[in-house]
Amino acid sequence: MVEFSGPASQFYQAALRAQRAGTGGPGDPEASGADGGAPAGPSFADTVADVAQSGVDALMRGEQASQDMMAGRADAQTVVEALAQAELALETAVAVRDKVVQAYQEILRMPI
Amino acid sequence: MSFLPSLDIAASGMSAQAERLRVVTENVANADTPGYRRKLVTFLEHVDRGSGAQLVELGPITLDDAELREVFEPQHPMADPETGVVQMSNVDLIVEIADAREAQRSYEANVNVFDQARRMYSGTLDLLRR
Repeated sequence: MVEFSGPASQFYQAALRAQRAGTGGPGDPEASGADGGAPAGPSFADTVADVAQSGVDALMRGEQASQDMMAGRADAQTVVEALAQAELALETAVAVRDKVVQAYQEILRMPI
Repeated sequence: MSFLPSLDIAASGMSAQAERLRVVTENVANADTPGYRRKLVTFLEHVDRGSGAQLVELGPITLDDAELREVFEPQHPMADPETGVVQMSNVDLIVEIADAREAQRSYEANVNVFDQARRMYSGTLDLLRR
């Protein structure tokens, strides 16, 4: 599989694992016997935490690069690249947040 | 480096070509300096430990050991006392201009790849918004 962007594919793989663990859980002898049905590998929450952390790192690196540019320590290419990464990190976080909030609101709207 | 390795790789390519252009500029500026030897640039692969991406970096800058151009000018302060010959540089302006053009093309290619990678990623995120 071609690794296009780390966090996006991490999300996809974690969701896939969670789904497989969910559908294979009740009737699966290994899962219920060995570790109580916990999915192998990092859970979806861990993935979200990892991606959030790398997003924050990207934003901080962007800020650091801007400061270096002001002080004349960095060259233009490094600054542009750091700021582009920070912008993409922010875009990703906003898109994921919007989707999560939307899903939450859908659930709230369900009649009891 | 975190979100999109392509951006980091393209940026390292841009930096390398910009440095190459700087060396070419030094050669052109010193074309008439007596005793100046032309600088040569080498590119090296540089593997980033975190993501395993192959970036590019400049290796050691070496000097071209071709013959220096000799000019007969006995009044020059640096002329040889017996033959009256001054050793100028071994810079050929045509070669340097061609090198500069190559550096510019490579730089533009890296910029295009950078932009394209960024647009592809943004397009992917657009899928989430729909």
